[in-house]
Amino acid sequence: MSHDSHHAPVASKLDLAPERSDLGLLRPDRKTGWADWLTTVDHKKIGIMYGAFAMLFFLVGGVEALAIRTQLARPDNDFVTARMYNQLFTMHGTTMIFLGVMPLSAAFFNFLVPLQIGARDVAFPRLNAFSLWTFVAGAFVLNSSWLFEFGHLAGWFNNFAWHKSLVYTDFAPANGWFSYAPLSGTVGQADAALHSPRFTGVGTDFWIIGIQILGIASLAASFNFICTIINMRAKGMTMMRLPVFTWMTLVTSVLIILAFPAITVALIELMFDRQFGANFFNPSAGGQPILWQHLFWIFGHPEVYILVLPAMGIVSEILPTFSGKALFGYPIIVFSGAVIGFLGFAVWSHHMFTTGLGAVPTAAFALLTMAIAVPTGVKIFNWLGTIWGGKIRFTPPMVLALGFIWMFMCGGFSGVMHSAAPADAQQQDSYFVIAHFHYVLLGGVLLGLMAGLYFWFPKIFGRMPNAGVAYLASGLVILGFNLAFGPMHYLGLAGQPRRTHTYHAGNGWETWNFVATIGAFILGIGVFLAFANLVWTAFKGKKCGSDPWGGRTLEWSLSSPVAEYNFAQSPVIAARDAYFEDKHGGRRIAYENDGGEAGVHMPSQSWMPLVAGFGFLMIGLGMPMLSMGVPHMGWLVIAGLTVMFIGIWLWALEGPGGYMLKTPAVGATPSQPAHQSATTH
Amino acid sequence: MSQVSEPAHAPTSTGIEHKKLIMWLFLASDCMFFGTLISTHLLYRKLYPTGFTDAEGHQRFIQNLFNIELTSFSTFILLMSSFLMALAVSAMHKGQIKSFRRNVLGVIFFGLIFLGCQVFEFTHFFHQGLTIQNSVFGSTFYVLTGTHGTHVAIGILWLILLYFYSFTGKLGGHVGALDVEVAGLYWHFVDIVWIIIFTAVYLVEYLGPSGFWGTGLPLTK
Repeated sequence: MSHDSHHAPVASKLDLAPERSDLGLLRPDRKTGWADWLTTVDHKKIGIMYGAFAMLFFLVGGVEALAIRTQLARPDNDFVTARMYNQLFTMHGTTMIFLGVMPLSAAFFNFLVPLQIGARDVAFPRLNAFSLWTFVAGAFVLNSSWLFEFGHLAGWFNNFAWHKSLVYTDFAPANGWFSYAPLSGTVGQADAALHSPRFTGVGTDFWIIGIQILGIASLAASFNFICTIINMRAKGMTMMRLPVFTWMTLVTSVLIILAFPAITVALIELMFDRQFGANFFNPSAGGQPILWQHLFWIFGHPEVYILVLPAMGIVSEILPTFSGKALFGYPIIVFSGAVIGFLGFAVWSHHMFTTGLGAVPTAAFALLTMAIAVPTGVKIFNWLGTIWGGKIRFTPPMVLALGFIWMFMCGGFSGVMHSAAPADAQQQDSYFVIAHFHYVLLGGVLLGLMAGLYFWFPKIFGRMPNAGVAYLASGLVILGFNLAFGPMHYLGLAGQPRRTHTYHAGNGWETWNFVATIGAFILGIGVFLAFANLVWTAFKGKKCGSDPWGGRTLEWSLSSPVAEYNFAQSPVIAARDAYFEDKHGGRRIAYENDGGEAGVHMPSQSWMPLVAGFGFLMIGLGMPMLSMGVPHMGWLVIAGLTVMFIGIWLWALEGPGGYMLKTPAVGATPSQPAHQSATTH
Repeated sequence: MSQVSEPAHAPTSTGIEHKKLIMWLFLASDCMFFGTLISTHLLYRKLYPTGFTDAEGHQRFIQNLFNIELTSFSTFILLMSSFLMALAVSAMHKGQIKSFRRNVLGVIFFGLIFLGCQVFEFTHFFHQGLTIQNSVFGSTFYVLTGTHGTHVAIGILWLILLYFYSFTGKLGGHVGALDVEVAGLYWHFVDIVWIIIFTAVYLVEYLGPSGFWGTGLPLTK
């Protein structure tokens, strides 16, 4: 790399000379404002955008949930139609899982992993931006189905020939989040246009292509994070010195790259059934709908751990910080996380006990499901061991983390109940299952993620959230959540089926459904308040120092907000929790004499990830419209593929680029002691 | 510890370059991808051992459909393309750009022969009455082998772009050799997957006393 004017070290990227990439295009390195955010390759900014989109979609999914609960507040209600109800619960589940929890976890991966391992960025900064924009494209595709649905309800499409030829008009997905075949698939023989008769409207096509695009985003991000964690650790940061959150990111990413291909293939097969008249799941041509269930849950069960392991990692960082103790049993927590990931691939059929697998497989999957409770229990005991005898400081993140343990355990207990196949046969498709997985995913994962948001927001924005509002919001969330989902255990065992748009009076379900609805609204207010407090914090919160909580891991050694180069000098680590020990006189961090006037290498910004992501958006909108019969939409798909290809091609041709950024001189920042004598164990 | 940070050449924690590591990770994921597709095919093949019914309503047996000589030929060609790919990677490591170009052109040529055979095979099977719509076998066969063909096509496109890029003079040194090696990893993987597909989709049809896993089906139409 030549050291011309662009590459001479500069104090700010605004001082850079304009530079053309290998391709001859001007690099967007000096952009500010919105163009900076669109072209950024900074993992911290990408993390913030992931978080902002995730919180937005949490609210969208929450509104869908409240519509569901309003409909079920009293018997024989007609707040929404049955058809709308199907679309609401499908989009609620899909939104919360793929557009809420997963991107919020990705926000933490992005922001924290490089900081925790002592790196200046991820292994592939532009690929990271590509993951973000592809995720946004997939999220937009899924939710654009609502725009079509509202257009349809408003009668905007009535004069179009393609609209008149539609048999089913659910424009938003309506099959449930696992889109079981044959409901999501086809039946009978394909016509001349290769279309087989279907059971559902084009919402399913939005779902198929939307999830496919989101899967590409998740896969690209996971490749990147595994590579980053394995390959970019600071000197001395051995695997067994990694913060537990980073460990859980690694396990989650491995789960994603091994589990997502199953759903990718299942979606391809379903797409071929619907678009080209294939017979993978078409029962009248010999297709086996049960295959969809197997393929879906081979992905779907690891997905549960993909959702929960990051929250477990977050809690494993928060509890030691506010207990004033090192994490109890670090190696066994890491090991049990890996065991959960491994066993997560061996329990999928417990979602299918009622399909008649046969005695031996049912017994085997029941036993394995019980077995997976063991490493989970090990983690809970280790967390309890961490706070046992500690000097506990109650802060909003600590309260939420303790709530996580408590609520997640309740979800775990009902999960073990499901592992007994005969009991599961009674609980299948009842509200008991709804209660179970909301205790795991909301009481567990959402509380864990909220704890993480309140814990790291001071690091991300350098401002403290309002503690009073945070306690109030936490209290409302935990109270509302238990009011909403506690009664569902009873409702389920009393026979109320899930996914049914209404129920008649006289079954004894009225009272608790009403209570659940009240709880849901309290929960909704709590989550909204918690998020509003965070947004307020980002702009107006009280400024705070770099280490307001007395943190243990490397990110707390940096200024808040973190400088764009992360580490002015690369750290050399000599212990687990090196920063904490270092603060208390242990001398566990040294700094390499890199950076300073010579500068550190920063990757160049790029438009290409955004261009490639836009190609996915065109494909994602084109496929369902092709399925609707809108004319010329095949060309939109081809154009989208072309844009995606051109984006990736130019991305390769422009080269990684990069420039040198000056950092403060050695010892200039008080939070970074400049001693060079790291003691090693 | 006093050198200026230069991440392009900075040693990684494991000593494995990022690009090579991420390609191995992608291939691990792709293993699960093809594993799922091949499982789908084999499950349905075992479930419906009697082949498929063509447009005229005739029961057709897979052995009569397959042209195992042609597929064996194209398999051999793909294997040889892997050999040339190894030579291209080796040439790049030695900095022999002309040798690289020669070998990579060979890989592209052999890859195109393989794709040509697949196009011929698909057309032939279609005229024999096997479509994606008329049977589960048609669906699984075309989607599985078609997905593999797509992988081959992407590999060919990648190599063509590398071939032309080599004339800009920017493909060279350690980074250039790494880029070619990563493309080589992909190419070898796609080749290995074909060996498995050739075995699991084509050769098994000839196993057993007379047909698929010894199911006792007659060899004639």
